[in-house]
Amino acid sequence: MKKLQKKTLIGMRDQLGGYPWSDAEISELVAPKLGIITGLQDLLEQLEELRGIDLEAIPPAGDIPKP
Amino acid sequence: MSDEVAFASIGELARRLRRRELDPPALLELFAARIERLGDVSKAFISLDLERARERAATVGTDFQGRGPLAGIPYACKDLFDVQGIATTAGSRVLADNVASRDAAAIARMQRAGAIFIGKNNLHEFAYGATGENSFYGTPPNPWDSSRLAGGSSSGSAAALAYGLCAAALGTDTGGSVRAPAALCGLVGFKPTYGRIATEGVIPYSWSLDHVGSLTRSAADAQFLFAALARDSAAPDPGDLRGLEFGIADSFFFERCDSEILAAVERLMDFLQGAGARLVPVTMPSMEYTRSVSLTVQMPEALCYHNRYLATRGELYSPDFRAGLALGQCLLAEQYIRALRLIETYRRDLQRVFDSVDLLLTPATPVIAPAIGSVEVSVDGHSEPVGNAITRYTSFFNMTGHPAITFPCGMHGSGLPIAAQLVGRHYADENLLEITALIEREFGFTLPHPPIDLPTTSTGPKLD
Repeated sequence: MKKLQKKTLIGMRDQLGGYPWSDAEISELVAPKLGIITGLQDLLEQLEELRGIDLEAIPPAGDIPKP
Repeated sequence: MSDEVAFASIGELARRLRRRELDPPALLELFAARIERLGDVSKAFISLDLERARERAATVGTDFQGRGPLAGIPYACKDLFDVQGIATTAGSRVLADNVASRDAAAIARMQRAGAIFIGKNNLHEFAYGATGENSFYGTPPNPWDSSRLAGGSSSGSAAALAYGLCAAALGTDTGGSVRAPAALCGLVGFKPTYGRIATEGVIPYSWSLDHVGSLTRSAADAQFLFAALARDSAAPDPGDLRGLEFGIADSFFFERCDSEILAAVERLMDFLQGAGARLVPVTMPSMEYTRSVSLTVQMPEALCYHNRYLATRGELYSPDFRAGLALGQCLLAEQYIRALRLIETYRRDLQRVFDSVDLLLTPATPVIAPAIGSVEVSVDGHSEPVGNAITRYTSFFNMTGHPAITFPCGMHGSGLPIAAQLVGRHYADENLLEITALIEREFGFTLPHPPIDLPTTSTGPKLD
């Protein structure tokens, strides 16, 4: 998995739709400098590790059934 | 007003009301006077509703025959709950003019129980954070040490109760936002089984993880609130510690924890064993990825809700919450769904743990209340962001949906409260509360009142 690039997120913003976050906010996600958010790169790497787990047919969590 | 009444439990207040030692209007005025003196210091309230509260208190009367324990009891709620005619600000400039047209389901239930709503509590903006810091409405301090955090996100709810400004408060808990501030302030924080208290009329943070909960002075008081708030509450089994099996996690929940907190929880364990309970080592699901899994659910769900305001009021959000929302847009749908599926595995794995024990016992937090403004805390040489530390032992149970309660069990050498956490089986809320109330009565630990310096004159209430 390659390191996340700012241009990737700008492409997502411009080509996939969604709220138009500023370039500065996107920079902060890729290379945090202000300390207001940390870990998108770490989060994505962890999620990639989790992708390797076979969850078989387990569904998403929903309401909790009564016993 | 005497501290004795300001810090009395609901049970005690109800007894005094029935004996006519107090009447509801007088009780309300006692709290109103304290709010006038401590409202600014505590930063606990965003808005007050005292005029309507006075009207309600006057209608309660003095005949309590056939009425529940909440009749005439003043309470407050986190400013995420809709109360008809009052702005639901969520602690944000974004919703400063968001006047509710009806009551949230929980507020309506409290009203039906006769409780007197007095005002709305400060919080971490949109419940996004465990420190309770709020640059617009101020950061509620901890009444045990005003240089420290009350904790969050239900910061104002904890501060209001701990400063003796109401008899109970409602909050929301998405990762520990009721239980953690309660623990840091010497209160009882309870979040029920996911879904047992309706979230209708409460501004969401993350639908999959949000729980409505209560902050009270005792587990017995939490029982009163749960009976009023739950859709289908039932009588608990008779409480008896003898033969009960308490699971003690063999990893994570006792790691990187303040030594005095560990010692206090160990004293509680000794008491439980002495009372005939069994402590059973249990292997918990792996916690390695739980924070990432929770975040992967939280931020897309939060973004999904806040999309309605971003286009027109986006500049009014605080930068840290905007950054979190931006992160939510960078995650893939498959990652979000996978996170929800992992949460389902956590639920199933924890259910298996409950095949062999009745309850789980953990410390409530690994740290005492951190200093206001601190960014990281360090335990055993390991630093972590303050918010992560505060909710490290609580957030897992938002994913699994199990009922959980935090309650005071000791006093730290620094003069701040220490709390333990008990977790019960799904839908065993009543039994969890009953056992906690029993421990509360028999463990023999009583927290003194916090050392609050009352201003001799009001600085002038800023609230309406």
